Amino acid sequence: MPIFARKHKTPLGIYVHVPFCRSKCSYCDFYSLCDAKLQDEYLDAVCAHIREAGEAASLHIVDTIYFGGGTPSILGGEGLSLILSTIRKHFDVTSDAEITFEANPDSITDRLLRRLRSEGFNRVSLGIQTDNDELLSQLGRPHDYQQAVEAVRKIRRHGFKNLSVDLMYGLPGQTIQDWIHALANITKLDPEHISCYGLRIEPGTPLYKQASALTIPDDDLQADMYLSAISFLKDKGYRQYEISNFCKKGNTSRHNRKYWEMGEYLGFGPAAASDFGGQRFSVVKDLRRYIAGIQEQGQVLTGVENVSFRERAGEYLMLQLRTVSGIDPREYEKRYMLPFGPLEEKLEVFRSRGFAVKTYDGRWHLTGEGFLLSNDIISDLLAIQDECKPIAKRKSN
Amino acid sequence: MTDLSKIRNFSIIAHIDHGKSTLADRLLEACNAVESRQMEQQMLDSMDLERERGITIKATAATLKYQADDGEVYSLNLIDTPGHVDFNYEVSRSLAACEGAVLVVDASQGVEAQTLANTYLAIDAGLEVLPVINKIDLPAARPAEVKSEVEDIIGIPAQDAPEISAKNGINIHDVLEMIVRDVPAPTGDRSAPLQALIFDSQYDPYRGVIVYTRIKAGTVKAGMDIRMMATGAAYKVVEVGTMSPMGLIPADALGAGEVGYITASIKTVADTQVGDTVTTVENGATEPLPGYRPVQPMVFSGVYPADGAKYQDLREALEKLKLNDASMSYELESSIALGFGFRCGFLGLLHMEIIQERLEREYNLDLITTAPNVVYRVTKNTGEVIMVANPLDYPDPIEIQLAEEPFVKLNLIAPQEYVGNMMELAQQRRGEFKDMVYLDANRVELHYEMPLNEIIYDFFDALKSRTRGYGSLDYELIGYRPSRLVKLDILLNGDIVDALSFILFADNAYPRARKICEKLKENIPRAQFEIPVQAAIGGKIIARETIKALRKDVLAKCYGGDITRKKKLLEKQKEGKKRMRTFGTVAVPSEAFMAVLKLDED
Repeated sequence: MPIFARKHKTPLGIYVHVPFCRSKCSYCDFYSLCDAKLQDEYLDAVCAHIREAGEAASLHIVDTIYFGGGTPSILGGEGLSLILSTIRKHFDVTSDAEITFEANPDSITDRLLRRLRSEGFNRVSLGIQTDNDELLSQLGRPHDYQQAVEAVRKIRRHGFKNLSVDLMYGLPGQTIQDWIHALANITKLDPEHISCYGLRIEPGTPLYKQASALTIPDDDLQADMYLSAISFLKDKGYRQYEISNFCKKGNTSRHNRKYWEMGEYLGFGPAAASDFGGQRFSVVKDLRRYIAGIQEQGQVLTGVENVSFRERAGEYLMLQLRTVSGIDPREYEKRYMLPFGPLEEKLEVFRSRGFAVKTYDGRWHLTGEGFLLSNDIISDLLAIQDECKPIAKRKSN
Repeated sequence: MTDLSKIRNFSIIAHIDHGKSTLADRLLEACNAVESRQMEQQMLDSMDLERERGITIKATAATLKYQADDGEVYSLNLIDTPGHVDFNYEVSRSLAACEGAVLVVDASQGVEAQTLANTYLAIDAGLEVLPVINKIDLPAARPAEVKSEVEDIIGIPAQDAPEISAKNGINIHDVLEMIVRDVPAPTGDRSAPLQALIFDSQYDPYRGVIVYTRIKAGTVKAGMDIRMMATGAAYKVVEVGTMSPMGLIPADALGAGEVGYITASIKTVADTQVGDTVTTVENGATEPLPGYRPVQPMVFSGVYPADGAKYQDLREALEKLKLNDASMSYELESSIALGFGFRCGFLGLLHMEIIQERLEREYNLDLITTAPNVVYRVTKNTGEVIMVANPLDYPDPIEIQLAEEPFVKLNLIAPQEYVGNMMELAQQRRGEFKDMVYLDANRVELHYEMPLNEIIYDFFDALKSRTRGYGSLDYELIGYRPSRLVKLDILLNGDIVDALSFILFADNAYPRARKICEKLKENIPRAQFEIPVQAAIGGKIIARETIKALRKDVLAKCYGGDITRKKKLLEKQKEGKKRMRTFGTVAVPSEAFMAVLKLDED
């Protein structure tokens, strides 16, 4: 057997960013355009980009593919299928790969679903956000709640067994009761997976300008909404497995888990991020430059950084503590050659405050209250980690 | 050496902002002491800080060669003095080096507190005071009235005072002619034993200390062995000469009547105290010149590096500053809360601000400073008398027989419509009213006796805001008086933060304690737990606020695996935490300390 051959290929996730929307939501600061003119050129560029990258990934096997945006469904069955088939052609894709597309209720049609189901798409992430039509229009969502209910019905009818729903809390004027009401309605739709995101007023969004005139729930109310969601969803059979993510047993988002568990992933399309071959990098956040760059075989990547070992140790804390499985002291020490003791001392303090839990097998994870303070907690731990000296390697004879 | 009859030694005195430095600039220009392309504003103020704030901190001097209308060339020695009440002693020594003073009065503002204070200093020093009415180009200028004001209030003739605009260079020639005509030429025997008055000194890394001096008697030249009469330090003179704004100009000798510099490889300015007399080791003068007094800091404050690891850097910076500023003192102190730092003594609040700003700017240090305090005098039951410059050293109340605090005589001047406001302010600050004098139909001078402690925080700002900027003040120390004092402690989450303790008048304790707690609540970020903020006197809690626990600080999404933004955010948060000082369990940003210092702003 040649010495470079591997028994197992490395798993890889693929993310495709579709930077188009029918209309822009008032809270959104992701990269997307409402101008459909460049869609054909975009498709050409993404496919060329995938072709090119495929050559560098011969030792990888793709087990998750995720179409995010923007609104991927806007490309229609043809467009999405073209990209997926290009991926299949240039990458090794497992037969049981999780293949997700994001969609808005208003873009769900029988035609789209039929086509995507037959191409092998098996997971839908539907942006419903809330059950209140008034709020939906205030957020600039291009649909009402009834459309969302119908979209779910269609998705089921076409045989998609893995549906995720995005919800938002902390919306203008929203009360705890409103929020529980929304959760109750959504759980009646019986999706396998639910993501709950607190509204953040991002600078530069239309909502940012209106914010002063609105009653946005404060941090304390948002915190209460978050905690009530955890317990409400638990009662309904949804387990929390990450800060913002809940699912029925066995239905975690395999793709998103790669982000938190430091798996490798490649991103295509403007603004898409990658962690591949020890480097993190992103695609330029500009569709025209992306298209031109691909056409002229120029540079489309930005922020390429070789992530040092030490930085990985920080990422481990920062990402793994987002999950309910948390961090494993033995794994940490073995992987990064850093002592866990000083971190554990601090984690004990967090435990005494009800923010962290140590499991029977020695792992540490945050509680709901801890997740709410995860920035504060993780930055405390990072400051301690900075002071840690590597564990001396034992001399091997 | 210049013939005595061709020398004029003078300084320029003024209330702050009346145009002293601008007039100095014009005089330098008129005598071609600087080429116009090198001309900067406030030429004699060499520190950036002086230029920025428009104030003079250090005295400097320059010799100008001026060809007068009589055809003769005169040596005009201009001694620029600091203009702030903090530096009164330094001003008095600079004035003692002169025979005349040009008194600059703003043509619209008229006579102000420091105009008076500085004029009296000049008159006390026996100087010929020559008024000049400045800023006549302003629309609000009222030169005739201001002249009568000068005559009525100060009692010196002013009808012939030049009416000038230093800013626009109007009538500068008149000022120069007036100096030649009216400033008396110096006198002095150049063969007598040497008596040279030190009016300032400056440390130069290459030459050692450069001593600025006025020769009162005798002659000094290179190679002479000299001695400072107060400090006793002895050196061999390396070089003497005169100052120009463009640098030092060496000379063979300096004789009585002249103003110049001496270098003698002197290592520290502590050896060359302002007001001391330089004489020769052999055949020296028997008596020093009058008026010397060792410098005495009036205001003390703890100065700590914001980053504890920078302690050594702070120490070195203070050592270097001290080389140039004998009036500042520092000694090591340690605080449980802040670690190692220094208790520094300053002449006044402005001096304190200047030193802090220089430490931060010139030495790139982030500082935490504790509330400034005066020196208290405490007589213990045992009869022992101690001077307390640090709240931490304040004895237990049961050990105290008598506590005293320093008092000042305070003069306030403002237009009469603000008399009510000024009185109210002075009363709030425990001022004891003495009398009130009408300076003219419109302006009033109030005299108070008041604890120095009440002035050092923010009195000047409060006065300015209550008199719409027209009020001015001046004060001098008059001694210690008994007082009811208490030490106020601040507790965070139950632990005393020693660096926040301070001594104050008992009746002020409650309102002040409440305000401090409020300010700390505003400036300490919410933590993972609830933080009680308490103020206590001797264990008794007199005020309390609560900082609610932080509930939410989370980034919900790492969209599409793009974690760079989150990474940057956490990195920033982590670095911020490293900069915060932790007291017991509570992290306190340095802004919180600053906020406590600026208690009375609103």
